[in-house]
Amino acid sequence: MSPDPEIQDTPAEVDAAFRTLRRIAVTYFLVFLGVLVAVPVLSMTVDWWTGSRLPGGLSPAFLAAAIGLYVVFAVIGLAAATLSSSVESRMLGGPLSGDRDADETETGPS
Amino acid sequence: MSATAVITLVAVFVIVLGVSFVGRPRNSSTVDFYLAGQRVGMVTNSWAISGDYLSAASFLGVAAAVYVSGLDGAWYAVGFAAGFVPVLLFVAAPLRRFGEFSLADFLGRRLESESVRLGAAGIVQLVILCYVIPQSVGGGITWELLVGHGMFGFSPYVTGVLLSTAVIAVVVSFGGMRGTTWNQAVQFLLLLAALLWLGAMVIGDGFHVGDGAPLETPTDGTRQAGPTGETGQLSRIALVVTLALGTAGLPHVMNRYFTSPTGRAARTTTLWVLMLIGVFYALAVLLGTAARDIIPEAADEHPWLQQLTVDGVLRVPEQALPVLGRIYGGETGLGLIAAAALIAAMSTVAGLLLASAATMGHDIYERHLNPQATQRQAVRAGRITTLAAAGLAAALAVLMRPDSSAAATPSLVATMVTGAFALAGSSLSPVVVLAIWWRRMTAPAALAGMLTGGVLALTMFVAAGFMEPSRVQGLFSAPTLVAAPIAVAVTVAVARRTRPPASTDAAWLTMHGTAADRQAERLARLTVQQQREAGGRGRRET
Repeated sequence: MSPDPEIQDTPAEVDAAFRTLRRIAVTYFLVFLGVLVAVPVLSMTVDWWTGSRLPGGLSPAFLAAAIGLYVVFAVIGLAAATLSSSVESRMLGGPLSGDRDADETETGPS
Repeated sequence: MSATAVITLVAVFVIVLGVSFVGRPRNSSTVDFYLAGQRVGMVTNSWAISGDYLSAASFLGVAAAVYVSGLDGAWYAVGFAAGFVPVLLFVAAPLRRFGEFSLADFLGRRLESESVRLGAAGIVQLVILCYVIPQSVGGGITWELLVGHGMFGFSPYVTGVLLSTAVIAVVVSFGGMRGTTWNQAVQFLLLLAALLWLGAMVIGDGFHVGDGAPLETPTDGTRQAGPTGETGQLSRIALVVTLALGTAGLPHVMNRYFTSPTGRAARTTTLWVLMLIGVFYALAVLLGTAARDIIPEAADEHPWLQQLTVDGVLRVPEQALPVLGRIYGGETGLGLIAAAALIAAMSTVAGLLLASAATMGHDIYERHLNPQATQRQAVRAGRITTLAAAGLAAALAVLMRPDSSAAATPSLVATMVTGAFALAGSSLSPVVVLAIWWRRMTAPAALAGMLTGGVLALTMFVAAGFMEPSRVQGLFSAPTLVAAPIAVAVTVAVARRTRPPASTDAAWLTMHGTAADRQAERLARLTVQQQREAGGRGRRET
């Protein structure tokens, strides 16, 4: 911990932020897991998922495994990282975030 | 040895040694040697983590898996890429905020237990050994393919193993984390450039993804198994889970997070990594797909390709990318892809050796063997560890050389890498995540969880080697799907019967608070402001 009282977190603040961050992480993880499992499950259960051809000659299954899942991973990562960092900024470091708000009020949007 | 091979090898070694010299540590502190002063920027670190993570198994193995198995092979890449989502969600930021030198250091300090530190250090060294041997094997095979001649009386394979491992050991022991970071960053950019070039050539030649054989079928009637021999959907799910959960326990990747200046930077770095490796694997899958279509046609036109194929199908699938390189770029193209393969193996070996040095030098030498060690002595211990680990890995790689490197070695590389992921994902990942997110976590629980997960994963993995191909064998060859839940259950059961460390509240503030992050950001802002003011004064004076 820093000796500077202005940049310390209180246990109550941290606990509240921790619970919110845990909810975010678990929610996005379940979304990630759902998408990841959905692709092979669709392959096993739905014929058109592997049998049909999209424009370009690829099956939906291959397109999902070759490109689609990487896009989904990036979107999940972007959303989770943005939300987690935003939650930390809002819930922790009161005096510093107050300073930042004041600075933004003084300078205005650039 | 052809002129192309000479130029390729010289270029690789000049780049590696040159970058290490430029980026060598500025002083003899352990923070500088192991952590590059904890000031590695997000973009540089994301390149370095990608270079660290993308081994020969990723560069040659993914394209080969898609070439052989089509859609099933693409799942190998999905498993590798998926691993960074749990890392971003659960590990990156808190790990950086609390840990300093290594995963073992994190667990030892979080749970106030030297037994946990030593136990984790042992598992870390085992994971590193399982991971570094196949990379050294890959170095030997690449030398054999590219050069074809031995030196100092050794065979081409042994020469490749010894030279590639020796060069990277010197680079790491000399350059430390700072030199290794720049090396891995440059090496990743070279890898990506090689794939982009090949992708552009293939698409520019008019290749259309849907033109080739159906992607849901193998290239011939005999190769039904995936990259590590798995068959069936359950086995593939087990493989993806093993690769995805293993990433959070890979010491060489997780150690890179300690070089980030803040926890928030570590999280954003992971986001960059997710995007970069997504592009990398999508390209590798595209090229594996292209190889299924292009190589059978090209086999009729190129006599050299006929020697590598049977009825238009490559005998060694890992040669898919080098063959495409030679088809589109001649000897130069082959040299470029071979150099990229060598670089992929070397950048991963660098990260592994450094992780080994950090664990041995900090967690064992500094904490137990010589607690009064000076910074210089601790750094020297790390350097000696690097050389010793490299020597051991090279010796084992030489001993494990298959009689016929052609067909057996690629599966050896993929199998051993999967084994390292399985061990990490079953023993380290569950314990690390629980230590970060569960207040009731205890030292005895961590030890029980690591031991259960590790022993179970290793037993199942070794047993799979003696079993006939089946669903059960597939599950055993990628055992994290079974071993990790059991490890979690044992950890929770033991934790409920033991007492958490007294420092849990303080650890929570450090891991989940952002005070240290804000302090570091404030210092960075002040530094930038002072530099601007100094620059402004300088301009006014002139």
